[in-house]
Amino acid sequence: MMQPTLLQSLDLSARKALPAALTLMLMLFALTPTNVPGLSPVMPMFALMSIYFWAIYRPELMGYGAAFSFGLLEDLLTATPIGSSALVFLLTQWIVLRQQKFFNAKPFVVTWFAFIFVAAGAALIRWIAVGLIADSGFTPVGPMFASYLITVAVYPLVGWLLAKAQVKLMGQV
Amino acid sequence: MRGSTGQISRLGTLKSLLQRFAFLSLIGVTFALMLIGKADTVLVERARSAITDAVTPILRVMSEPASMIAQTINNVRELASIREQNAELREANDRLLQWQSLAQRLEAENKSLRSLLALVPEPGAQFVTARVVGDVGGAFAQSVLITAGLSSGVKKGQVVMTGEGLVGRVTQAGNASSRVLLISDINSRIPVLVGEAGNRAILAGDNGARPKLLYLNQSAAAPGDKVVTSGDAEAFPPGIPIGQVAEVQDGDVAVELFVARDKLQYVRVADYGLAGFLLEPPAVQQP
Repeated sequence: MMQPTLLQSLDLSARKALPAALTLMLMLFALTPTNVPGLSPVMPMFALMSIYFWAIYRPELMGYGAAFSFGLLEDLLTATPIGSSALVFLLTQWIVLRQQKFFNAKPFVVTWFAFIFVAAGAALIRWIAVGLIADSGFTPVGPMFASYLITVAVYPLVGWLLAKAQVKLMGQV
Repeated sequence: MRGSTGQISRLGTLKSLLQRFAFLSLIGVTFALMLIGKADTVLVERARSAITDAVTPILRVMSEPASMIAQTINNVRELASIREQNAELREANDRLLQWQSLAQRLEAENKSLRSLLALVPEPGAQFVTARVVGDVGGAFAQSVLITAGLSSGVKKGQVVMTGEGLVGRVTQAGNASSRVLLISDINSRIPVLVGEAGNRAILAGDNGARPKLLYLNQSAAAPGDKVVTSGDAEAFPPGIPIGQVAEVQDGDVAVELFVARDKLQYVRVADYGLAGFLLEPPAVQQP
């Protein structure tokens, strides 16, 4: 076998970093002002979608360390109690990896259906964690539930985009 | 052949063990961080400022298309109604000219009365204008990130507003970026005056679009009543417009804010030189 050239190995590592890069982009996208009235308080959990997606399709490229780091970043950026997102992302990844057999070669609809439960658990755990740590106590359930519903509704679109990116840019990795 | 499969399965076991160890230790770190975040708020705040400073330039670029689209839509909409708007503006101009002459007369009167009383004037405010590049939404915290920080004189506790009214308060100032806690955040509590009678109340955010008035006699508020800052607790200067009472229902008084969050593009950070309750309380002197 031929040794890969420097360019080839650089290319390979760039492709391998794609899941992390796309997660970061989604996280920043959620922070961009949209100018859509009423959207901000119920912003969907974009980073969670990405963590879930890559845990199913490319678990070897997004480890627990990455999930933890993204959670930490999210907490620092959004000024939510530190550690609350990290906990949720870690648990999300853990549950998906535990159920690898279930997710294996399943159609997208099935993973969407499973996401309904995973996202519900994630939202609930985050709500409890934030409520217990923050001085302001538990936040109202309304916005959290709305944000959860939108997250589940938007997942197919985000999942489709991530799948496209995966096929196009990571085909041979 | 058998040897190599054995090796592979042993490697697999080792890998899954390592993974489990990583997972458990990271969960442990998460809980430790939660405790640290509760105990050492200064450290966490410094980390937040550093991250915000690093990300703001990226957000600045990313927010460009969205604001451009919004501006274009706005332009087209305005173009359609330019004739009516012109007529309205003429009318408004006539009305305002009358107000101007009234204001000039009152100012002169005010001046002479002040000199009679030998009143010391309040110090004026200093303003910094900044762009909104990040909108932190979601169910748990409501804030915006702006492109001005310590280097341009923005400090924690300063008041943030637009021409329409109050936006919030600076809760974290990095070098070139800051976080503004919005009035609608669950941590926001603002002493206000309601209506022409000036009834005192506290405007409390709940992470929704319409904050609620606390400690207010329900009969003391009616839909349409203006809500302004009261200046109590020295966190805000008095008289900054906030919104108007939208709804009085089952003991809840909801306030519709003047500043539309989805239209926030530029804000003014004002330094009134107020002590404010965000800062350390002064040491009590023993008699």
